[in-house]
Amino acid sequence: MRESFKYKKRIVVKVGTSSLSYANGRLNFQRIANLSYVLSALRNRNLEIVLVSSGAIGVGAGRLGMLNRPVELSKKQALAAVGQAELIKIYQKFFEGYNQTVAQVLLTKDIVTIPDRHQNAKSTLLKLMEMGIIPIINENDTISTYEIEFGDNDTLSANVAQLIEADLLILLSDIDGLYSADPKKEDKAEIIRSVDKITPELEKLASGTGTSFGTGGMVTKISAAKICIDANIDTIITNGNDPSIIFDILEGKEVGTHFVANKSVILKD
Amino acid sequence: MRIEISTLSNSDGKFNHQKMDRLAMVLSNLNNSGKQVIVVSSGAIALGIDKMRIKNQPTSYEEMQAIAAVGQAELIRFYQHYFDQYNQIVAQVLLIGDIMDNVTRVKNTQNTFDTLLEMNIIPIVNENDAVSLTDIELDDNYILALQVAKITKADIILIKMDTNSKFIIQPRNKLNAKFVSDETQLFKELEKTCNEIVCDDSAELFFPESIKDIVLN
Repeated sequence: MRESFKYKKRIVVKVGTSSLSYANGRLNFQRIANLSYVLSALRNRNLEIVLVSSGAIGVGAGRLGMLNRPVELSKKQALAAVGQAELIKIYQKFFEGYNQTVAQVLLTKDIVTIPDRHQNAKSTLLKLMEMGIIPIINENDTISTYEIEFGDNDTLSANVAQLIEADLLILLSDIDGLYSADPKKEDKAEIIRSVDKITPELEKLASGTGTSFGTGGMVTKISAAKICIDANIDTIITNGNDPSIIFDILEGKEVGTHFVANKSVILKD
Repeated sequence: MRIEISTLSNSDGKFNHQKMDRLAMVLSNLNNSGKQVIVVSSGAIALGIDKMRIKNQPTSYEEMQAIAAVGQAELIRFYQHYFDQYNQIVAQVLLIGDIMDNVTRVKNTQNTFDTLLEMNIIPIVNENDAVSLTDIELDDNYILALQVAKITKADIILIKMDTNSKFIIQPRNKLNAKFVSDETQLFKELEKTCNEIVCDDSAELFFPESIKDIVLN
C-alpha cells in the first residue's frame, strides 16, 4: 500500500496523444469523457487538479482532413494553432457536463528560464486552482520552437509540477508502467512497482520500451520522473486506458510504477 | 494583401454575439475574395467575467490572469462557432508582449502565420495573458496588432471600434486613415485603399505607433 497517496492534495495529470486518440489518429471521445469525469470528481473532493494535455497537432490534422501528420515544423505549428482551439473546445464541452470550469494555459520554456515569467505562470495557476477551475496546459507551439524547447509534454508536466509545488504527477501512458524488459518481446518482463533512484541502467531499460505515437515514449517519462524526484514530488507512470485508475492511485493501490520523491530535498520558495 | 483587424471591445459590457457574427461574415468574405486576414482580438477578460459570474471587476493581477485563461478558451470557442457558419477555419495564436525581442520566436511566429494564411486559415491572435508580463489587455490591443502587422508585413490595419461601430482603415504607408461605418462601404473602401497602396515589399512599413495618432491624423 502507498498510504501517503490518500493524502495527496495538489495533482498534475499528464495525458498524451496516444491516450487521447485511437491508433488511426482520431480522437477517442469516450476516453476524454471519462477523464473529464474523473478529474471533475476529484475537484469536487477539493483536490487541486492541473491537466497537461497534448493532442493539438493530431486534432488540427483531423480538422483539416489531413491523413498524415506533416513533417515540416511550420506546418506542425500551424496545425497546432488550429488544433489547440478545437481541443480546448472539446474539453470545455466535456467538463461542462460535470459543471466544471476549465481554463486554457499555454506555456513556453520561459517558465523555467525567466524568473518573472516563472512567478507569473505560478500565480496564475495557483489563482485558477483557488477559484476551483481546472487549468488545461499545453505548450504554446505557435511561438516556441516545437520539439526544441520542451520537446515533449512529459518534461512540460514535470516543470509544471515543480512550478506549482504539486504533491503528485501522474503520467498517463499506453503502457502499464516501467517493465524489467520489453513486455512486447519478453514473456518474463515484469512491471517495476517502485523506483527510488534513476540509474543509468534504468534509463537504458526505458529506451527499449515505449510508444510510437506522440513524441514521448518512456525515455522522456523517466526524465520527467527524475525532475520530480529531485523536487520532492512523487510520480506515477501508468496506463491511461481507463482514467478511473486515478481513483485507485489516490486510494494508495499498487498500480503503475511509482517514482519515489526524494524527501531529503529541502524545498525553498 | 494582408489585412489585420483589431477589435476593440469594452471590457465591461456583455459579450455581443451579433457583432461577432457580423465580423465573422465580413472577414470570411474578405478571405474568400482572396485577401489574407489576421484577427487581433481582445475580449478574454470580459468573457471570463461573464462565464464566472463575477460581480465586481477584478483588481488583482493574478485574478485578471486567471480570468483571462478561462475567457480565452471561451473567446476562441465563440470565434470557431461563428466562423464555422461561413465554412471558415480559424486558428488560435497567443503571443507574449516581448515577442519582438527574440529573433527565433519572431521567425517561428512568422512561419506559423505564413503557413496558416497559405492554408486559407484565419489566425485569431491575442496576448497570452496567463504568462504575459505586460499590461493585461491594453485598452485597445493596438500595440499587439502593430507588432503582428510588422511580423506579417501586413498592408492594412483595420480597426473596429466597438464603441461607435466604426471601422478605421489604416494602410501601411503614410496615407491617411479612413473611417467607415457600414460594411458595404467597408468593402469598397478596402478595395480602393488596396489599389492606392504601392505594392512594393521593399517599401518601408509605416504604421502609426498608437491608436491616438490614427484618430488625430
